[in-house]
Amino acid sequence: MSDYILELSNITKNFPGVKALDNANFRLKKKSIHALLGENGAGKSTLIKIITGVYNQNEGKLFLNNQEKSFSSPNEAMNAGISVVHQERNLIRRFSVGENLMLTNLPKNNLGLIDYNTVAKESKKWLDIMELDIDPNTIVSDLTVAKMQLCEIAKALSLESKILLLDEPTSSLSPQDTKNLFALLKRLVAEQDVSIVFVSHKLEEVFEICDEVTVLRDGKNACESEQITNLNRQKLVKLMIGRDEQIIKSKKNIDFTDESLLDLQSINTDLGHKNINLNLKKGEILGLYGLVGAGRTELIKCVLGLDKINSGQILLNNKEIKIKSPKDALEKYKIGYISEDRKKEGLILMHDVLSNAGITVWSNLKKILSFLNDSIVYNKVDPYVKQLEVKTPSYQQIVSNLSGGNQQKISVAKWLASGTDILFIDEPTVGIDIKTKSYLHELIIELSLKGTSIILITSDMPEMISLADRIITMKDFKVVGETINNHNYEEMSSSIMGNIHE
Amino acid sequence: MNNKIPNFVKTNQFGLLILVIVFICIFSFSTDGFTSRFNIYALSRVVALDIMIGLAMMVVILTGGLNLSLGALGVSAAMFGGWCMESMGIPISITIILVLAFGSFLGWINGFVTVRTGVHSFIVTLATMSIYFGFMTLLTEAEAFRKLPEAFTDFGSLKLFNKYISPLLIISVLTCFVLYYIFKYTDIGRKLIAAGANPDAAELSGISVDRMFIYCHMLSGFLAALAGIMLTARIGAAIPSMAGHLGFDWLLPAFLAPVLGGTLLSGGKVTVFGTMLGAILVTLINNGLYLIDVGEFWVRFFLGIILLGAVLLDRAREYFTVKNSIVS
Repeated sequence: MSDYILELSNITKNFPGVKALDNANFRLKKKSIHALLGENGAGKSTLIKIITGVYNQNEGKLFLNNQEKSFSSPNEAMNAGISVVHQERNLIRRFSVGENLMLTNLPKNNLGLIDYNTVAKESKKWLDIMELDIDPNTIVSDLTVAKMQLCEIAKALSLESKILLLDEPTSSLSPQDTKNLFALLKRLVAEQDVSIVFVSHKLEEVFEICDEVTVLRDGKNACESEQITNLNRQKLVKLMIGRDEQIIKSKKNIDFTDESLLDLQSINTDLGHKNINLNLKKGEILGLYGLVGAGRTELIKCVLGLDKINSGQILLNNKEIKIKSPKDALEKYKIGYISEDRKKEGLILMHDVLSNAGITVWSNLKKILSFLNDSIVYNKVDPYVKQLEVKTPSYQQIVSNLSGGNQQKISVAKWLASGTDILFIDEPTVGIDIKTKSYLHELIIELSLKGTSIILITSDMPEMISLADRIITMKDFKVVGETINNHNYEEMSSSIMGNIHE
Repeated sequence: MNNKIPNFVKTNQFGLLILVIVFICIFSFSTDGFTSRFNIYALSRVVALDIMIGLAMMVVILTGGLNLSLGALGVSAAMFGGWCMESMGIPISITIILVLAFGSFLGWINGFVTVRTGVHSFIVTLATMSIYFGFMTLLTEAEAFRKLPEAFTDFGSLKLFNKYISPLLIISVLTCFVLYYIFKYTDIGRKLIAAGANPDAAELSGISVDRMFIYCHMLSGFLAALAGIMLTARIGAAIPSMAGHLGFDWLLPAFLAPVLGGTLLSGGKVTVFGTMLGAILVTLINNGLYLIDVGEFWVRFFLGIILLGAVLLDRAREYFTVKNSIVS
């Protein structure tokens, strides 16, 4: 008998026109943390969906505790002890932590009403196992992002899950919270007999906590249940993308005593920013680092006129400007914003590639009587879509059908087409595969070399240090530090974290 | 895949076209007089109005909203037109311009209040429906304008194409082409659709979403007013109750046409010719059922069933869009 809790062998899954999985194998050892890696579109999500009963495989078998199983719904998989913690939160924000944890099996009293004392008591049990100091009566929306993530895991545990699938669990966590999460995961494995499948784009994390690695590439196994100790970062990347990774570094000589292009002076906002001063030079990549909730995206939105600035000045080329709306920013001042949330704010998912890529340039392209046809837009955006190597069958393809990386390329392409002087780029590579990520990095550097000035928001420290020329650190809606980047990871990261934890 | 099947065949419009043909066949064989000159002419006058009403609703559904005040607004505008011509003696052409401007203004009120308060247009237009209709009844004392210029009423009873078709239908079909042109070939049309599909993304891409939503409501008011004028010309008088109490009689065709036509209730998609076909289908069924003589209440029953069916169709469409997006 094998010591695998979950075994998938020779899984093939076909979608119309695509073979998402092709004879893929996956074996999860009892009490281990197993990394499932691969580029976007490599088949990870499909594999997870087969494990959790969302899809059924066309070929191949699934064994749970050495017994062949087939789940026809997520509910069945859950009852068999398999739980997923998604990137998107699955908690009901207006309910208390206890209610969320007990949701599928709310205890009732004699009258058939919900017994809130038992809810609190039962849920406390699971929170205690995780050593979480949260009152079960707290409303979920009052928790920090990190605590919500942990509650999701508690919820999975409360369902007596023995297999936990974690999909990018750290994408919105601070380094400290990530550390706590990892400590917890290790304890769960040791003490609660839980086995974990860990999906992440951050390879550092994989090396930190995983025991074994399975890599998928184009639906096939690039490696299967390899011991992590046999691998290093380069080998792993090569397995994922099929070639060596290129390391990119911005190298520029910016004279920081030059006059600023954009200057924020003592900005106070409705959202709570206090006395923000920062300036952006021409052709500079200015990094804005901070933990989630530091007010970086919010600051940019205030600058774009979406929220109110109460006092202070914005200067463009030393002239005071008032930006009333993103439309104003784009049309009057040539300022663009690439949103962190491409699905909600960056793209119109139900529309096709052409209208998404062209949306920022319609106003400029329109002819007499507002006339505008597809070929005018096509001629304008095609060079950018080509330059970014967007993979799409046609311009008529609906954007929601494209992979995450290609979607992100389109939300970048539309701003390239608009020809802005200043670009605010917010978390450009969240959930993006390595190949596209390094491509986008090159592009950002190239743009700045050509004279576009960029404010870059990212929570990915390596990304920040390889791209930014200067790094501003924010905390609690205030600027707490400014450092000129020397591209030395050790020095820079400790100096930035120093700023934050002062 | 499926390259051999032309794209048009896969669309909703094609399905509708087939349905329209099927119903025409059924009613032609099963009833007397369906294909008579008299009936076709009568149909063309009714369908003209239903198309216009459907379009007026469609442009607000585009924003993900609704315009319940449509009927009240259209009748108010029509009564205003009657007053202009009968009491003030304003020439027909200027009256029409004034009525369309008035309708757009009432639409602007709907849009402005919706955008400024952030309340769903369902509630806003429910309120303005009552306000417009109440105010109109108050001012007109519920009296009709029956002495309209002959040139105006004659137009309403004009018969074209060997006396088969009303000129009203030509106005509606032309309006369809104009709207199609706007949505397909203009900057502003694209912006309206983008704002309806994803307001956040559109706003951040430099589109003034509030303004676009107000434009949609104004366009809706404009089209409803046009429908009001057409109805006045058809009846030969402007009557406060010509669209039923509070304009309710317009609501069912207003929803049916765009939803059958493939306009998504959640916004961001318009199908002008789908709406046209939807209106034709509704009118056909309505007319056919009357000819079969099933009785007024059964007709309403069937139209209700069709609306429910159409809404289910709308859900199915959304479901399939989601399903497609999972497979990437």
